[in-house]
Amino acid sequence: MADELTIILVIVLVAMAIALAFSIGANDETLASLVGAGVLKFKVALILGGTAIGVGMIIFSSGFVPETVGKSLLGEGLESKYTNYMLLTVLISSIIWLVIGSFAGIPLSSTHSLIGSIVGVVIVYAIFQGGVDLNTAFNYEKLRDVVLSWFISPISGLIITYLLFKISAKVLLSRLKGLNQIEKSEKTFKWFLLIAVLFAEIWVGANSGEAVGILLGLRENNSISGGQFLIFAIFCGIFAFLGIYFAARFVIRNLASHMIDTRPSEGFIIQMSSAIILMIATLFSLPISHSHVIVFCIIGMSIAQKKEVDYKGLGKMGLYWVLTFPIAAILAGFIYFGLSLFGLK
Amino acid sequence: MEILEKMKEIQDKELKKLNIDELTHLFMDNINEQNIKLIEGIEFLVQEDFNKFKDNMNYVIDTNTEVQIKKKFESKIFKSKLMFSKADRLKLFNKINDIKNIGEFLANKMLLYKAVFPDEKFKQQILSILNSLKNISNNLSKAVKLIGSDLSKAHDICEDIKDERRKMRNDEWLLLNRLYNYDMDYLSRTFIYLKELIEGIMILADHIKNFSEYIQFLATKYLIFD
Repeated sequence: MADELTIILVIVLVAMAIALAFSIGANDETLASLVGAGVLKFKVALILGGTAIGVGMIIFSSGFVPETVGKSLLGEGLESKYTNYMLLTVLISSIIWLVIGSFAGIPLSSTHSLIGSIVGVVIVYAIFQGGVDLNTAFNYEKLRDVVLSWFISPISGLIITYLLFKISAKVLLSRLKGLNQIEKSEKTFKWFLLIAVLFAEIWVGANSGEAVGILLGLRENNSISGGQFLIFAIFCGIFAFLGIYFAARFVIRNLASHMIDTRPSEGFIIQMSSAIILMIATLFSLPISHSHVIVFCIIGMSIAQKKEVDYKGLGKMGLYWVLTFPIAAILAGFIYFGLSLFGLK
Repeated sequence: MEILEKMKEIQDKELKKLNIDELTHLFMDNINEQNIKLIEGIEFLVQEDFNKFKDNMNYVIDTNTEVQIKKKFESKIFKSKLMFSKADRLKLFNKINDIKNIGEFLANKMLLYKAVFPDEKFKQQILSILNSLKNISNNLSKAVKLIGSDLSKAHDICEDIKDERRKMRNDEWLLLNRLYNYDMDYLSRTFIYLKELIEGIMILADHIKNFSEYIQFLATKYLIFD
């Protein structure tokens, strides 16, 4: 009976991880600037973007961000292993908080929510269930790096965008005098934008380690084998592709319709800056929020162009960003505590 | 006149060869030409040369060579791809077209009656306003043609248009003040006609001023300064 329950639980966790990969694709709006600029036909853009995110997710599945999510955040006290109920709680908690955020119209980060949930679960496990010293329950160095990266990555995005814009303005954009000349230059930038968006999509896939991270957690606690992990990771990549192709298309089309007069050069700078940040964060195995980075890249562009920035709205958004981590942690802690009361540790 | 005669020679096939920018320039030239005809027509009215006045007004009303260009432009812009300034170019074209609509309306209205102007001073002031209108119309044409090649210059020309238009507004008040203080029947047709003439001229001037502000908006939108 216990074995059957364990198998069912593993199946549920794998299914949820794959569904999470689908939702990562479904929530990805990176392609909007490309579609808005009319570089490619809509379906071709979806296929290319979906492939890029899927490939990024699969290639970086066996280490990097998934390893941080599924293993490296845990300390010696937990021997870098989650129990399946911990993983279940982490998923449920982050999904609940994200759904609440969606209904309330608050833009939240799935990365922050997931890491917050992990922290909440581990604290409850360490204090109430596992008899583990909190000092050894976490890999504090890694946790510190992850949290720090959440502050550093958006600010770096802002700075890189600002500098890239200033350089391109000095070297090229400010020298374009007439609309014809500007259009000609922007037509060339459309192809650069295509490269930047696909480059960004690869790193979005690579950095969105939540789904594969759960699978890695299952591999680490021997619930699934290495071979199974690889197959499921490929499934995650495929479902991320399907998420973009079938679900994200509506958001992308809607956003793209508001971007038809956006300059491809601006889109290129923003996408390239965010891709660079995502790449660096991924190579350092740090899960960051893509949407936070993009928002700050857009702010960097606005500052560089001396446009107005909605600091009030930004402050409100910042508050939700900061609150996500502790709220997800508290929520996960309560859920896990509730489960453990029924012996589901 | 030259441009309109040239236009007659331009066949549909030749229009097809022109790009969106060239079609806009041709359209602007065409409309400006008609605008100048309208202004000169009112000048004939001031000089009490009613035949020439009538000819010019009828010319503005009857000329429809711009329709051919408009159709070609609309079909080209509709099919054109990969243009991030598409919406702005369409709006620009429509604003040029509005000049024709206002001019045609004014020409029709002016033909309803033939007024004799009260005195020389009034005539001089009207001619001064008409001269300013001619200047801003020609400047607008220059600015529109510079959009493709030099938005900064177009922006500067539009600044001149706005200055001239400000001067026209002062002249308008002086004229109206003069008109209201003449010793004539308040409801006389001449009074109404002259009042509407002044207002019609200013509507055209206002449109040109708004148009020039739109060009300045385009310059602000598209130009990047380091």
